[in-house]
Amino acid sequence: MAELAEKTATKVEGMDVWIYHGQINIPNTYSAGAAGSRFLVNLRDKGKIMGTRCPKCNRVYVPARSVCKDCFGKLKQWVEVSDKGTLLTYTIDSESKPIQPVDAPVIYGIVQLDGADTGFVHILSGVDPEQLRCGMRVQAVFKPREERVASILDIKYFKPL
Amino acid sequence: MANRVAIAGIGQTYHKSNRPDVNQAEMVGEAVRAALEDAQISIKDIEGMFYSNMETFEGIYLPDHGMIAETGAFGKPGFKVATGGTSGGSVVCEGFYMVSAGLYDVVMVIGFEKQDCGDTTAAITAALNPSWSKGAATGAIGEFAKQALSYMKTSGAKEEHAAMARLKADKGACRNPYAHLKLGLTSVDQVMESGYLVWPLRFLDFCPQSCGACVLILASEEKAKKITKKPVWLADVEVVHQEPFKAGTFGDPTGTETYTQHAACERLYKRNGITDVRKDIDMAEIYEPSNWEEMNLYEHLHICEKNEGWKLIEKGVTEIEGEFPVNCSGGVIATNPIGATPVIRIAEAALQIRGDAGEHQATKDIKTALASALGGPNWTTLALLRRSI
Amino acid sequence: MAKEPEYIIVNIDVPRKYDWSTGKYLGKVYAEAKENKKLMGNRCPKCNQVMWYPTVVCPKCKVETGWDWVELADRGTVVQYTYLVFPLWDPHYGERWANSHPSAIIELDNGIYQRHWLEETDPEKLKEGMRVEVTWKENYDERGLGLQDVPFYRTIED
Repeated sequence: MAELAEKTATKVEGMDVWIYHGQINIPNTYSAGAAGSRFLVNLRDKGKIMGTRCPKCNRVYVPARSVCKDCFGKLKQWVEVSDKGTLLTYTIDSESKPIQPVDAPVIYGIVQLDGADTGFVHILSGVDPEQLRCGMRVQAVFKPREERVASILDIKYFKPL
Repeated sequence: MANRVAIAGIGQTYHKSNRPDVNQAEMVGEAVRAALEDAQISIKDIEGMFYSNMETFEGIYLPDHGMIAETGAFGKPGFKVATGGTSGGSVVCEGFYMVSAGLYDVVMVIGFEKQDCGDTTAAITAALNPSWSKGAATGAIGEFAKQALSYMKTSGAKEEHAAMARLKADKGACRNPYAHLKLGLTSVDQVMESGYLVWPLRFLDFCPQSCGACVLILASEEKAKKITKKPVWLADVEVVHQEPFKAGTFGDPTGTETYTQHAACERLYKRNGITDVRKDIDMAEIYEPSNWEEMNLYEHLHICEKNEGWKLIEKGVTEIEGEFPVNCSGGVIATNPIGATPVIRIAEAALQIRGDAGEHQATKDIKTALASALGGPNWTTLALLRRSI
Repeated sequence: MAKEPEYIIVNIDVPRKYDWSTGKYLGKVYAEAKENKKLMGNRCPKCNQVMWYPTVVCPKCKVETGWDWVELADRGTVVQYTYLVFPLWDPHYGERWANSHPSAIIELDNGIYQRHWLEETDPEKLKEGMRVEVTWKENYDERGLGLQDVPFYRTIED
């Protein structure tokens, strides 16, 4: 039988109350799905950022999605968008958390790539946070091909142009 | 004066163990489009969207928010319900209340679960109070195992009867294009030979973890008659939930007793003039996560007397060709995408009334059907469907 | 012929940690177990049913259960049991295991029902109606986790 981690409880000073320390640890997976998979595979294999276009609404969704939110039409047209874009807004997270991809401080930004009609969340780096401005031009920096695994982090970060 | 509510459209996905080809949003979108196709209306005609899903089973937080585009919900009112195994039943009740009260004329109720993304048993085990259940990694299966043991002891049912119930379910599933597990079982021995999962439940005695979605379009009487020539009337619904399993409270040593089913049936049957279930109702689609539970449920839903459930199986009363068909679709033991399952029960009962169930259509004419949902510690929702009211 | 597209599956393996308070009722159970090796439930003043696990409000009478504590009997009779054959994932530990000890519902001698582990791991020796007795972690420092201070119920002859 496996050695299981002991659970612990800490008594609160001055009263008959304990704090129970536990976890909910369930292995989850997420299917990127039809559109998501093709988007990620393009990041890995071609270093290209792809979007899907709705011909009726003339809107390009990046990251690529399967359905247009305005007209409910299926999105079958794939277009490449630029690796350069405009930083719409950003924020700085100063605390490291297990779910974050890099150590704090992490700068998250919403970037509208040239050719896209939606914002795209990613990390900003190679820049002094004081120098950041909404509206500044930024560019994606990809990891080398051998390090790319069909993940959003195949783009290492965005840096100012 | 409450509006009458009808089921004007039905859609479901082909339920499978794994759907790597779609994400959760895309999968639900398939069922939404299928329902719109069935009703021959456009997404613009839908006024409200109600979702049912148990987030922890997949680990996707706020799933309804993530599928606004894929389900055509942008700009429409709606929300998600999560009530364990009865989520789908609760969401149909929500839709029913909304249309019945005259707040909306046409709504969509959407049940879904993409169980290849998580571990349901682990998620259910996580729901137990950690102080009490160190290592109680039996989840729902353990509870059903204890119930099976109890049932064997009090009613005289044998493992053969459970195996016969499993065979009946598989026959239905093999005839149902949407069902998940189609095993092609031919004999009781095949069931008896499968190994034990949690004693005395065998591998084949319990439902699978499925990926699937099911959508119903509910409409007011006026709209339903415009949309379809074959509206199925959702005559009444009932919901009864109780506190989680607490063995021994109020004289119920095993925590398995049927307070919720009794309460739900008493109220629903009384309101609808049902005094003899096998005469007043033609068939049932019940939520039986295990074949043992099916026999139990026959008794708890008053389809037969106490301790007689296994006899109905023995005599073939509940087969597709039988006098009171139950789960012609294969039931939950063949297909269980939890958030969708109660919606599937109602959908399948509606297909029977419409005469659209294809190869798994019951032999007798179905004018009235009962659909039930079961959750966690014996929670119950019921729905009564009629061809005409 | 078109190649089957590649589908990407992302693994998410972040345990969600929590720190839950027992509150004062469960806290009393923890205190009695640690200090006195006793399990205690509270009794409803209206219907006299002993709540195990203790509750703030009696679910039937809808009155506050209160602070009338009753000790659970040491011995009882097994009403129902089951055991895992196939290892299942335990989210509290983040591991897959099959506990060899059966989980049982026990009717204690003073009418209170207990759900816990049995010491007996041989399926041949398990039967409904068997008599069992509580066992405790004897070391004071090892106690302090409420019902987990009771490792098993041991089979007895009486």
